[in-house]
Amino acid sequence: MGGQISKMMNRIFGSKEMRLLMLGLDAAGKTTILYKLKLDQDVTTIPTVGFNVETVTYKNTKFNVWDVGGQDKIRPLWRHYFSGMLGQHDSVPGTQGLIFVIDSNDRDRMDEARTELTRIIQDREMKDALLLVFANKQDLAGAMRPNEVSEKLKLSSIAKDHVWKVEPSCATTGEGIFEGLAWLSNNVKVPPTK
Amino acid sequence: MEAASARMAARDRYGQFGEPPTSQLQRFILNACDPQNFEPNLALNLEISDLINAKKGSAPREAAVSIVHYINHRNPNVSLLALNVRPNPSPPQASNSPHLQLLDICVKNCGYPFHLQISTKEFLNELVRRFPERPPVHSTRVQQRILELIEEWRQTICQTSRHKEDLGFIRDMHRLLSFKGYVFPQIRKEDAAVLNPSDNLRSAEEMEEEEREAQSAKLQELIRRGGPQDLQEANKLMKVMAGYDTRNKTDWRAKAAEEVSRIQQKARILEEMLEGYKQGDHMKEGDVFEELASALQSAQPKIQRMCEEESEDHEAVAKLFEINDSIHRTTERYKLFKKGDIEGANKIPKGTLGRSGAGVTKGPDNTLNLIDFGDPEPATQTAGSNAGGPAQPAQSAPKGNALEDDLLGLSLGGSTYGQTGGISLGGSNGSVLGLSGVAVPQAKTQQSSIPQSTLDLFGASNAPVPQITSPSIPAYSQPAPRPSARSTPDPFASLASSTPRQGSPFQFQQSIKSQPSGTVDLLGVGAPAPSSNLAQSSASAANDDDEWTFASAVPDTSKELTVTNTSINVVFNVSRESNDVLLIKSRVSNNTTLPISDLTFQLAASKGCQLQLEPQTGVYLTPNQQNGITQVIRIKGVERGQGNNVKMRWKASYFLSGVKKDEMGEISNLGVS
Repeated sequence: MGGQISKMMNRIFGSKEMRLLMLGLDAAGKTTILYKLKLDQDVTTIPTVGFNVETVTYKNTKFNVWDVGGQDKIRPLWRHYFSGMLGQHDSVPGTQGLIFVIDSNDRDRMDEARTELTRIIQDREMKDALLLVFANKQDLAGAMRPNEVSEKLKLSSIAKDHVWKVEPSCATTGEGIFEGLAWLSNNVKVPPTK
Repeated sequence: MEAASARMAARDRYGQFGEPPTSQLQRFILNACDPQNFEPNLALNLEISDLINAKKGSAPREAAVSIVHYINHRNPNVSLLALNVRPNPSPPQASNSPHLQLLDICVKNCGYPFHLQISTKEFLNELVRRFPERPPVHSTRVQQRILELIEEWRQTICQTSRHKEDLGFIRDMHRLLSFKGYVFPQIRKEDAAVLNPSDNLRSAEEMEEEEREAQSAKLQELIRRGGPQDLQEANKLMKVMAGYDTRNKTDWRAKAAEEVSRIQQKARILEEMLEGYKQGDHMKEGDVFEELASALQSAQPKIQRMCEEESEDHEAVAKLFEINDSIHRTTERYKLFKKGDIEGANKIPKGTLGRSGAGVTKGPDNTLNLIDFGDPEPATQTAGSNAGGPAQPAQSAPKGNALEDDLLGLSLGGSTYGQTGGISLGGSNGSVLGLSGVAVPQAKTQQSSIPQSTLDLFGASNAPVPQITSPSIPAYSQPAPRPSARSTPDPFASLASSTPRQGSPFQFQQSIKSQPSGTVDLLGVGAPAPSSNLAQSSASAANDDDEWTFASAVPDTSKELTVTNTSINVVFNVSRESNDVLLIKSRVSNNTTLPISDLTFQLAASKGCQLQLEPQTGVYLTPNQQNGITQVIRIKGVERGQGNNVKMRWKASYFLSGVKKDEMGEISNLGVS
């Protein structure tokens, strides 16, 4: 009963819930972004072996953010998280938003990043997902700018069936991160509530 | 009334089915459960299960959720279709006939990922949602069928699955229902047996793949549930899957080796049965012969595949080829027997494993039997057919295997050789196949961690053929203390041994005269001594008087050890001869009032040490003769203080007034450090 009321309230006040999957190569800054979002703190992280999940509320939207480790050994396990986003709501198909984090200073591994991103974004379970690319580590001199990142990732071809955006960010200062979330929140299609 | 029921049907059809199926899988399930079906569409059901298997990921869950939805459909026909029973059975027989079922088919064909789904609380609660609090007097067919399924699951996957701990809720539901008074129908075990793990031969890769899939399904399910504990477990599972957590890693090659040995066992049984087969016996359809033969036949392609997978490990490949060959001959023989062509069958050399080395080269005269190895006759025969034997292995053995020995702790001419009783076979085997009876995938680790777990076997010819001396030390791993490691060396060792699961290192012959130095030299090279030992043993080859022999501060004491006391009494007098040699004086007495003849006593010691057996003083014991046979045995390479680590195995065979007797056993401690 209570759940129904809150659902109704949500519908009236436009509050929504979004499940986000945050992926990217190792040392791109995923975990730092997650805890910046959650705690608004710059935390020191160690390579994630496994995953972290946190719930963040921002601008009326409850984000359920899954941060999965990016080391090459873990990458084959990413796919389990695509549909894992189904949660209890089986009517929600696939994951709603993918955050792909790029180390903008790591030009050598842009090809690798593109390969991984292509594999994710073209998965059946991800077909309806919004794609937000964080061009992270913008504080470093020589970091690639967003348009360079989108070019190198060939987003216009690999993500042509998706709504995507490249957001410059700096996880340690929090710059760009909330802007990215706002974009996701504005573009998500609210699943038809039963 | 009719209109009302038609409306009802329409609502069922369009109301509850109204929700448009979003995926292909759901569409298929919808069609399979369409109330217009008058009986289950087996083809479609199988297609559904194939689709689940192909899609993996969330497909098992999707299917389980929609199937259980249809099971609870108000139209019992739909439920039965979901359960996949014919809705309108033509009574009376059809109602009892066990129809395949959509749910049933998925459970039986989709494996662990689907089992995981049917064992979730949600699924089980949903499955029995329409069950009244107390069992009704006349339960419906749907209820009956559901009870039957739960009972079936409880008796199969809940007991036999590798992951049965994940399926606990099925047992709980069973308990709950019985508590409420529901009676479960009897199930036929044979019908449900398909749910048990298959005993088909599987290669290491296949098993690993299966495990990966199970882990994958579990991870997916844990993430989906998303409870704090589930997530914690998911994190742990990820570490395992990503290879960061290797503490509980299964050695799949060891497992595969275990499976191969199981096949060998079957081949052996069939071969034995064929041996007992006489003219006029009949083989029927579906008898044990056929069962074994078909198991062997189905294993053959698997073995060939394993050969491909193991292509880096030449020993294993050669061994597998040998097994394959042997199995092939056994099945050929079976086929000919079945046709009644016993003569033709007898022309094919017996496929008993471990003899094949000889069988390949020698053909039909390969009638040596491991058990007879104490018997002088075959040994002579083999020796005769291998003139110049001693020279050959002396060259080929170290050349072929010295390298692997160093690496793997293996030695050439292992089991196959020892068993045939002829020395040169070991050599030729080694040169042809490039391996001995042993391929020990884990040998490296084993050697470094537990050097005493392997045995050096001393191969020498039998007493009645004095011209032969054994140049070879078949050394192979004894079943290691760790259970996982145990199986690895086993199958290969077991090729040769008469008791396959045991990996018993008894296929060696007793030496009848002391070894010439060249022989011992070879031993030094061929023996897979741990590195510290290797140099020493080769250096000191054939030379007991090591210049580094120091007198110990502790006086060397000797100790009496009764090895066996049955018809024969064997006593070892163990003492330390020098810093790295233990001296055993064995005395054999006759406990019976009957004469004992052809007594041979054989020994094997832990790897890392070498056995040197001087000839027995005789092979014959008169009634009650005390200490009638004596023998001097030296164990080399046993450093002071290491004596208690030496383990030995022995085997004695003799004829007690004409009746052949075999005894064997293990000496775990010599009592002299």
